Amino acid sequence: MPGSRQTRGAVVKNTLFSAQNVIVQGITGGHGHFQTKAMLAAGTTVVAGTTPGKAGQVVEGVPVYDSIADIQKNHTVDTTVVFVPAPFAKSAIMEAITAHIPLIVCITEGVPIHDMLQIKKRLAGSGSTLIGPNSPGVIVPGVNKLGIIPANMSLPGHTAIVSRSGTLTYETMAGLSAKGIGQRYVIGTGGDRIRGTGFIDCLELFENDPEVDQIVLIGEIGGADEQLAADYIATSVTKPVFAYVAGHHAPVGVQLGHAGAILGSADESAASKTEALAKAGAQVATSITGLIELIINNFC
Amino acid sequence: MKLLEYEAKNILSLSGIVTPRSSIIHQNDSAQLTFPVVLKSQVPTGGRGKAGGIRIVNDKDSLQQTINELFELSIKDYRPQILLAEEKLAISHEYYLSLVIDKPTAEIRLMAHINGGVEVEENPQDSFLGMVVSSEYMVGSNNNFEAAGERLAEYLNLPGRSFVLQDLVENLYKCFVTNDATLLEINPLVFTDNEKFVAGDCKMELDDSAAFRHDWKFEDKATEANFVTLDPGGTVATIANGAGLAMATVDAVSDFGMVPANFLDIGGGSNTETLVAAFRRITEYPNIQAIVINVFAGISRCDEVARAIIAAKKQITNLPPLFIRLAGTNFEAAADLLSQENIPILATLEECLAAAKQEVPS
Repeated sequence: MPGSRQTRGAVVKNTLFSAQNVIVQGITGGHGHFQTKAMLAAGTTVVAGTTPGKAGQVVEGVPVYDSIADIQKNHTVDTTVVFVPAPFAKSAIMEAITAHIPLIVCITEGVPIHDMLQIKKRLAGSGSTLIGPNSPGVIVPGVNKLGIIPANMSLPGHTAIVSRSGTLTYETMAGLSAKGIGQRYVIGTGGDRIRGTGFIDCLELFENDPEVDQIVLIGEIGGADEQLAADYIATSVTKPVFAYVAGHHAPVGVQLGHAGAILGSADESAASKTEALAKAGAQVATSITGLIELIINNFC
Repeated sequence: MKLLEYEAKNILSLSGIVTPRSSIIHQNDSAQLTFPVVLKSQVPTGGRGKAGGIRIVNDKDSLQQTINELFELSIKDYRPQILLAEEKLAISHEYYLSLVIDKPTAEIRLMAHINGGVEVEENPQDSFLGMVVSSEYMVGSNNNFEAAGERLAEYLNLPGRSFVLQDLVENLYKCFVTNDATLLEINPLVFTDNEKFVAGDCKMELDDSAAFRHDWKFEDKATEANFVTLDPGGTVATIANGAGLAMATVDAVSDFGMVPANFLDIGGGSNTETLVAAFRRITEYPNIQAIVINVFAGISRCDEVARAIIAAKKQITNLPPLFIRLAGTNFEAAADLLSQENIPILATLEECLAAAKQEVPS
């Protein structure tokens, strides 16, 4: 690999802070339209959108094209935010990968697992980074909003939040903003079993960004992501980490809302994940209010 | 979605995997069977054999009696609607074979064990064969199953059967992918006296998200992800939006020393009708003293939730006290609606929990 080539993390960081050249796939749909307006209001420059068969329409002043290839005749595209319905999400994401878009944020919920297996194969050999699916997106407060996280509850600052849950992301962000604790990044990785960017990619981004002072990690029952994050925190993260894993009272083998939130083996439990994060040096809470208090009490 | 054994075996058989000759028995059917026959209770749970849900019948005399007993037998709270009647296989050996999705690597993995059967999970993890079979997983690509067949034959100590096993793996893999399966387990995979591989039992789970591209008509097992009973004797019911916040609300109720009865994620697109239905289900729990509502609207809207709360209060007479915390999109509109009805909103979840605690006898 040539030495001059940027790492994936650096590409993502530059893209998040540019807030330029953003497109919306599925821009004419209900959520696509509503959230395009909210993204524009938050300072994101949405240059175009796609909906097959609706070229020529205009949504909130943003021109609609049939395809990304058509947009690229007129615009450079750095980021796409995907709102297309689940049955078409795979082709939308594949289209974005083929078009070499560096950052793909997929909000769509209910993308089939086998579609994600195929998408992961394509991503591996590509220059694209995927956040989601079933993600609330990303906010860089005061700079950029990619997705559905309410911008009016964010505050620019030096705390980085990463979470598998949309609503817990909002809750934590709003709780910290109310106490004057601002955020550098707020990233929802999404609640599905197979997803793009995970905790470790985000922890690496946060650790390497000198503007980040402290890290908040919010996990859930199910899967091994929090255990892997704990290993990474122990070996590679020097900044303070605060963590909460939701689902302390989850029954075994029952899906709780999110596709990924099923407690299978014992090490997928909230208690076991919390213990692993504590062992890795994170300060842990057993409730979301406890987490917010913990961060506030440690803030100076 | 978990399939029943007979549903899973239908799919296997359409995919070219051999299953025992079989027929289905409904209650009050007059069954025409060849003896001996194996009768298997069709319930969506494991441990069926040990619970007496599988019976061998050798002649016509004891048939009806056994059928009646199986329909009466409740296994982990499930009673069968259907029995599966199968030929009795002449078993030479039982193996274990499954396909699973390995989440961290996003690959499809084949697992095998030389000793299958009900005790297979007792075997040490490292005695299983595990191999990735999805390395070339792309639409239209030709997977190379030859190597998989050879490796499986070697592991199962069945030299000379690699072609048969290659076919089996290929059929299994295609079955898994084309049916959007998330789990496919054949246990036991029976090797019969006349040297055929037959699927003795099968567990299959399909991805509900992929239902739009299939014509699935399986028996409804009422698995609902968004409303889950945690403790039917619980004293506090919870309603929240988003899976994470719903889990966190349950955690917080419990941290406050109360017993949460349920998990409920009303999601992003909640309408009055579904919310009122949820309230009705909650009032069926016998010991509920308080309902805690915790909504942080991002893609959803607070005023929709407020309208549903007002409708529920009007329609359901025995509703326990509500402790409501709302935040996010359209909060002001919601606050107006609720104040017109004299329904208070509390500022934080802790205030809701503290107030709810007053209602709950400790």
